[in-house]
Amino acid sequence: MTTSNETLNKENLAVLKTARLSLFGFFLSVPPVLIILLFIGLPIVLAFIFSLGFTSGPNRIIALLGQEIYTKDNWWGTFDAYKSVFNDSRFFGNLRTTLLVSFVTTVVVLTMSLGLAIYQRIRGGRVAAVLIALTLVPLFVPVVIAAFAIRSFYDGTGFFKSLFEIFGMNFPTLTMTTYAVAIGTIWTSLPFSILMISSGMQSIPDALIETAQDAGAGFLRIVRTIMIPLAFVPIVIAATFTAIGVMGSFTIPYFLGANQPTMLGVEIVNFFGPYNRPQQSVVMAFIIFAAASVIGFFYVWANVRSAKLSGKI
Amino acid sequence: MSDNVQGAGLELVGLQKILGGRVIIDNLNLTVKKGELVSLLGPSGCGKTTTLRMIAGFLIPDSGQVLLAGKDLTKYGPEKRPSAMVFQNYALWPHMTVFKNVAYPLKIRKMGKEEIEKRVHGVLELVNLMHHKDSRPSQISGGEQQRVALARALVQEPDLLLLDEPLSNLDAKLRIKVREDIRDLHKRLGITTIIVTHDQDEALSISDRIAVMNEGRIEQFSTPQELYDQPATEYVANFIGSLNRFEGEFAEGRLIEGASVVGIRPEDVFFHSSQSAGSYSAKVNLVVPRGHFHEVYLTRDDVKIRAFMSTDIPKQGDIGFATISKALIYKDGKLARTA
Amino acid sequence: MAREKTTLNLTSGSWITRVFVGAFIVFMAIFILGPLFWLAARAFATSWTFPNLLPDGVTFKWWGTIVGDKSLLDAIRNSLIISPIVVLVSAFFCIPAAYAFSRYNFFGRKTFLIGIFAANAFPTIGLYAAIATLYYTLNLMGTVLGIIIIQLLGTIIFMTWIPAAAFSSVPRNLEDAARDAGASKLRVFRDITLRLAMPGILVAFVMSFLASFDEATGTYLVGAPEIYTMPTKMYALVLNYPVQIAAVFSILLAIPSVILITVARKHIIGGHLAEGFQIK
Repeated sequence: MTTSNETLNKENLAVLKTARLSLFGFFLSVPPVLIILLFIGLPIVLAFIFSLGFTSGPNRIIALLGQEIYTKDNWWGTFDAYKSVFNDSRFFGNLRTTLLVSFVTTVVVLTMSLGLAIYQRIRGGRVAAVLIALTLVPLFVPVVIAAFAIRSFYDGTGFFKSLFEIFGMNFPTLTMTTYAVAIGTIWTSLPFSILMISSGMQSIPDALIETAQDAGAGFLRIVRTIMIPLAFVPIVIAATFTAIGVMGSFTIPYFLGANQPTMLGVEIVNFFGPYNRPQQSVVMAFIIFAAASVIGFFYVWANVRSAKLSGKI
Repeated sequence: MSDNVQGAGLELVGLQKILGGRVIIDNLNLTVKKGELVSLLGPSGCGKTTTLRMIAGFLIPDSGQVLLAGKDLTKYGPEKRPSAMVFQNYALWPHMTVFKNVAYPLKIRKMGKEEIEKRVHGVLELVNLMHHKDSRPSQISGGEQQRVALARALVQEPDLLLLDEPLSNLDAKLRIKVREDIRDLHKRLGITTIIVTHDQDEALSISDRIAVMNEGRIEQFSTPQELYDQPATEYVANFIGSLNRFEGEFAEGRLIEGASVVGIRPEDVFFHSSQSAGSYSAKVNLVVPRGHFHEVYLTRDDVKIRAFMSTDIPKQGDIGFATISKALIYKDGKLARTA
Repeated sequence: MAREKTTLNLTSGSWITRVFVGAFIVFMAIFILGPLFWLAARAFATSWTFPNLLPDGVTFKWWGTIVGDKSLLDAIRNSLIISPIVVLVSAFFCIPAAYAFSRYNFFGRKTFLIGIFAANAFPTIGLYAAIATLYYTLNLMGTVLGIIIIQLLGTIIFMTWIPAAAFSSVPRNLEDAARDAGASKLRVFRDITLRLAMPGILVAFVMSFLASFDEATGTYLVGAPEIYTMPTKMYALVLNYPVQIAAVFSILLAIPSVILITVARKHIIGGHLAEGFQIK
């Protein structure tokens, strides 16, 4: 049964979509769009052509400041900067680490979120509420603090290490490894994923689950054929945002990871600042963008497919 | 320890349910014959939906039993019970087509693809929805959605069919049509059916028997006619049909002083211009047209009363004679006698 | 009707399940809360010898050293000045836009909404590198304005989508009733629409403030080493100062987060977050 809030929003939306086009509305909406175009759109375009060797105009200053800059020798640019990145032996290791950590984090976070959300939906109760409250704690904590706290928890004098030492056993020092990075990215990615997926699960009406029960379906079948399909879009949102967010992360791998191999986010900052190779830094940024856009495409596809299926399109 | 009635149907024995600290259902007993169509009728909050959910298995009673054909179902969840329920809001899965919605119970029973297709098509034809079998719920009307929900229940070939407020989401005209469809389906298939409703017209028109419920108890369980003619309690008399209610006694066709409650149906009040046995002089205060009958408000020297008339409608201010042909007299809420 | 969960009881309640669930709760508590308590304890520790599970002694002296350190105080001051500015600028540009998205139909409405959303889907580190490239030309590296812009970018999605949803949830008939009573369009907006949408707008303010206050990566790339905010100062703290001071600083940095989210938690957690992210 639709809540009064839902019917309200549906009404408002219906009125809105059939209203005639407003110039006033258009102008009101322009400022944030303009800011984004100017400070996200434009830099991306400029950086992209910078990566292809366009070192004049707006890119002139950084081309002068940076080292190992490749300038284009024909009209469409040059792949030299890209080649120099690919030739760097460490690059593919870092890329693999980035994609691997991203993948593992997404899988773990999704599994935990699904499990908790389904448990909360079916059982309800205090246990579920406590668990979910726990997973939301990282929302309160700035990433820098989280990274630092996790580091001191798992480093050479960390909690587990101390605990095991007291019992005369050895616990590995996890910091400066990719494992610690994954722990950190899972830690920080949990809240958003839980919020999304549990919200999706909670909005499934009881009746849809009960009818399936009445028809004879058992627990796993209901989860597989009713609950997950109905919460499909929030699940996809959680997955894509987690994956993309981890791919571009800097603080967590900076605090928790090894020097090599590390995540590309750290390398981008390293190349931009300390190594003073801004062009290569930008190249790496676009390689991450490319990977992210594959995922983003998947997100759009899922949204469109879901809208088609439920008859909205 | 119930008698194994020939072709025993549904038996509810001593059901009790407490929810949120309140006693919702209190020692409820009901025996439905196999193949009967029974309505649970009552206002919201009377416990009828709770009862239905206990029959379906979504609620476990605190005490008491649910028996079907003598077998105790009480401990079983809904997936194990041979009952099928049609929810008030139809509960069609939006991500599946009509066909897939109806086929779902059969897939669970691991039926073969061809068999599934045969059965689903059969039941879709029964409810006249074959032309929509590949549509999605959002693409069909409310009435059609309900038929899909019904088809999904029927495809399970249940021993017990449960309908939760089947007509409440439909507009008036559609209600009458769907009512007839339900009755026809029931005649054709003969499945024991329980309907929950708050609409007495609905219940009266299609039920074999009606259980009128009030605050978790069944006040009366009889055929529509009996409920109408001999309402066992004041509550039932008030709920079924219309009632003029007075405090006093009834003798010689008039209301007199007394300690009982007298109920008079407006259909049992007559107004004529000429006097006859048992009639007394009366004046018409107000006439309200109601479509196929008129509501006539009369004043006699003993009562101010409402009558339903469909012929010889008087005009406001007319003087004449009014007869009361039948009265129900209640003592302590229970029917003492009729007069 | 009272709602009962017992028959959505699709899982068994056996003791094995209960042990597993209990162990899982303990595991989660350690996983999530462990690092936080471990760090917080250090803020009050004189010293901490390995492998003890408790500090050697308790003291408040580290809190005092923060007050005495100019660079740390500068970072605190910068954060407390820059973030409110960012939020106000963001509100100024975005809330009218949010109202437009909610109440008007115009050319590009859906595209703009999706665009604002998509801009947040980019891996931030790549974005910041690209922006830094532009900043060199615009001479914005190491400037307060540069930092404000970068933090502003992170607030836009909160300041448009959340207020838009808040405005949309105000029933139109309440506005119509005000118009009918004689109120002008501006009055209706001020007295009715804005008032009723205020909880949602406050949530947007909270989320935007936190997005700005806690922003580390972009601010680091663009501001260091000339200007530090509290988060970016942490990077240096961790390397150059004793753990205890970094721990104290962490607690200070966390305080606004904890206070603000606790205050607004019902809206953030209970609100229709999932709906808001679907393209409508």
